[in-house]
Amino acid sequence: MSPRLQFQGISKLFPAVRALDGVSFSVGAGEIHGLLGENGAGKSTLLRILSGVYRPTAGSVLIDGKPVTLVNPVAARAAGVAMIHQELQQVPRLSVAQNMFLGHPLTRGAIFVARREQERRAAEALAAIDPSIDPAAPLGTLKVAQRQIVEIARALLDRARIVAMDEPTSSLTPSEFERLAQVITGLARDGVAVVYVSHKLDEVFGICRRATIMRDGVVVDSVDLNDLSEKAVVAMMVGRELAQEQHNSHATNKVMLSARGLSSATKVRNVSFDLHRGEVLGIAGLVGSGRTELLRLLAGADRATAGTIAIDGKAARFFSPRDAIAAGVGLVPEERKREGIVPLRSITSNMALASMAVFAPRGLIDHARLKQVAAEKMSRVNLRPFLLDRPIRLFSGGNQQKAIIGRWLAAGTRILLFDEPTRGIDVGAKAEIYHLIEELAAEGHAVVVVSSELPEVIRLADRVLVMRDGTIAAELDRANLSEQAIAAHAIPQTQTPAAQPARQ
Amino acid sequence: MSDATLVRPQAEFLRGVSMRDAGTLIGLVVILAVFGALVPGFFAERNLINILQQSSINACLALGMTLVIISGGIDLSVGPTAALSAVISASMMVAGVPFPLAIAAGFAIGLACGLVNGVLVAHVGLQPFIVTLGTLSTYRALALIYTGGNPVLGLPPGFRAVFNGSLFGLPLAVVIVACVAVVAWVVLKKTPFGEYLLAVGGNEEAAYIAGVPIARTKIAAYMISGLLAALAAQILIGRLGAAEPILGNLWELDAIAAAAIGGASLMGGKGSVVGTILGAVILGAMRNGLTLMNVQSFYQLLATGLIILAAMLIDRVTRGRG
Repeated sequence: MSPRLQFQGISKLFPAVRALDGVSFSVGAGEIHGLLGENGAGKSTLLRILSGVYRPTAGSVLIDGKPVTLVNPVAARAAGVAMIHQELQQVPRLSVAQNMFLGHPLTRGAIFVARREQERRAAEALAAIDPSIDPAAPLGTLKVAQRQIVEIARALLDRARIVAMDEPTSSLTPSEFERLAQVITGLARDGVAVVYVSHKLDEVFGICRRATIMRDGVVVDSVDLNDLSEKAVVAMMVGRELAQEQHNSHATNKVMLSARGLSSATKVRNVSFDLHRGEVLGIAGLVGSGRTELLRLLAGADRATAGTIAIDGKAARFFSPRDAIAAGVGLVPEERKREGIVPLRSITSNMALASMAVFAPRGLIDHARLKQVAAEKMSRVNLRPFLLDRPIRLFSGGNQQKAIIGRWLAAGTRILLFDEPTRGIDVGAKAEIYHLIEELAAEGHAVVVVSSELPEVIRLADRVLVMRDGTIAAELDRANLSEQAIAAHAIPQTQTPAAQPARQ
Repeated sequence: MSDATLVRPQAEFLRGVSMRDAGTLIGLVVILAVFGALVPGFFAERNLINILQQSSINACLALGMTLVIISGGIDLSVGPTAALSAVISASMMVAGVPFPLAIAAGFAIGLACGLVNGVLVAHVGLQPFIVTLGTLSTYRALALIYTGGNPVLGLPPGFRAVFNGSLFGLPLAVVIVACVAVVAWVVLKKTPFGEYLLAVGGNEEAAYIAGVPIARTKIAAYMISGLLAALAAQILIGRLGAAEPILGNLWELDAIAAAAIGGASLMGGKGSVVGTILGAVILGAMRNGLTLMNVQSFYQLLATGLIILAAMLIDRVTRGRG
């Protein structure tokens, strides 16, 4: 029997680059197939071809052995391909059912939308995977994980034979992932072929049996994951062995920032801690436990409703990020596109944004000095490609992140707050960011790292605060640091630890 | 600053922007060539100066509009701001107030109108389109109420002489607007405020996290726009010798058109002083040429519309994936 989905010698040429070069592999019915590779390896281009957004320059896509021409997204959908995007393409104000029928609504007499019928059919599709979702509710009121599930239900409605998922879990908590994994496994049981793209190797190892690894637009190999270690897969993705990662501590006893009884209007309740010079303080906890909100208080982006912050022992009041920056505190936000970069501006301009006063002591920007500092900071963070005048939007996520870090280096920031420092960043750049964070600590910066990836927290942190429901549930030093320990404190009491994914 | 050491990086720094400006320049050259071929005497020095003079008021407004558009906003109230500023300083002059003082008062009115717009946008958080649509009516009404709907006549000759004079063979109005353009260029390219405008319009949330003073930047943009509207008003009443409360009707549309032809994006974060000036001259040259050809004003309106659409289409095609 021919495989459900087969790529045969797919190539895609863009004006300046060969994005894909002779990509061939196949996915059987009922198989969950991992698609792995660094950013720029060609995964997204391949998915766009599969979903009819791009036409391949050469090669063909076969479904159930028959070549199909996917001229546009509608054709791809008709051929049974459903695409679930990393950034969900939904309309928050419309109802769940309206979103599920977006673009091809059920009608009465080809004029009126049959809203009831849509809701009934949506409820049917949802019942199979998550009956708790109300088809009439506005989509915007749902959590991200539930919105993912709506997308999957939509694929079920379309009777999709192939479901392609691009980083579906990048903003899910472990328990939400577990739920999603069950749904995906269920899809596969019904004979759907799933192409699963993720940077999180542990997830891919968890739910995929086979995977195809891509690098620079070509297939490195299609492998059986049972035969390989994560390390071996990473080496195939990156094309070299990554150095063994070891934690080094540079923490001192000198308190640089101390928070006492901090509370916010949104989430944070009575949080107190000290941050020391040279220390990397990890903050773990479930999504929604108040970690991001805490960082925003420290960075002056939100106002505290109670409590105090002191920098170097002096009380500080932050009314805006400007005040925090002046006190030496800078935030590297989680959502780079939304809160980090000014996309049309160059690397240099993005870097200089927080320290304009330094570069324009007499009102006019000293461009010579700006260039010099930009060159220095960007070589420090190893920007690639080293094009300082290129708009930042043309860089990979990892390099955008380096520019944002450079922004704080240029501003002389001493206390750096990282929110999910490696979200959406590929394996190679991830290691670089880790080294950078460690170097910054070694130089005497104080660093806070909020992360949902427990291995990341354990790799980086000298000490970990576990947050739960807006408060600090536990403080763990390195001796007591383990994924199990973090998970045990992070989960609200009402849930038993057994309901959580067993990690490692 | 030593320019020699900067030549290479500077050229690269400007490359993206000046490509777009080069496109606008080509557009201007094409339009000039077409009218030069069709209209005898189009290239006469007198006529070229005419074109500049006729473009100067729109260019002046469009410069302020460009800054506001870059910040992610829009200023629909420039015409009424100009009218209010014009009638107040004109009536002060008629009442015997020395004209420099009256001009200063006119500028203050412009700044105040901009301040109101800016505060409503930046501090109250209303949408710029709606705010300035509201003040468009409000400022116009104030000008009409203040004058009872009548023009203010009999401006002192001394005042008129200033704006009708010339310098280096160019009308003073042209020289003034050219100076304003140079200042605007320096502000956008060389000052933190320029970077802040581009950042606020390009990604307000990111600019906030990076410590950019959002409200101050936006308010300043609207105040500059108001000030330049007041300057345009002075130029106009200097030329006409009277101030009508209905002057400046639909000025905002020409100003937006010039900025857009010049490459400003109504999404914010993008725009060029050079492009805006070229855009204003394109519109001015086209109207001048069509008038000389005795084309009905209906067709002039049509041509304006088509030029705007053509500029946007070319933009779309050349920048493509934007």
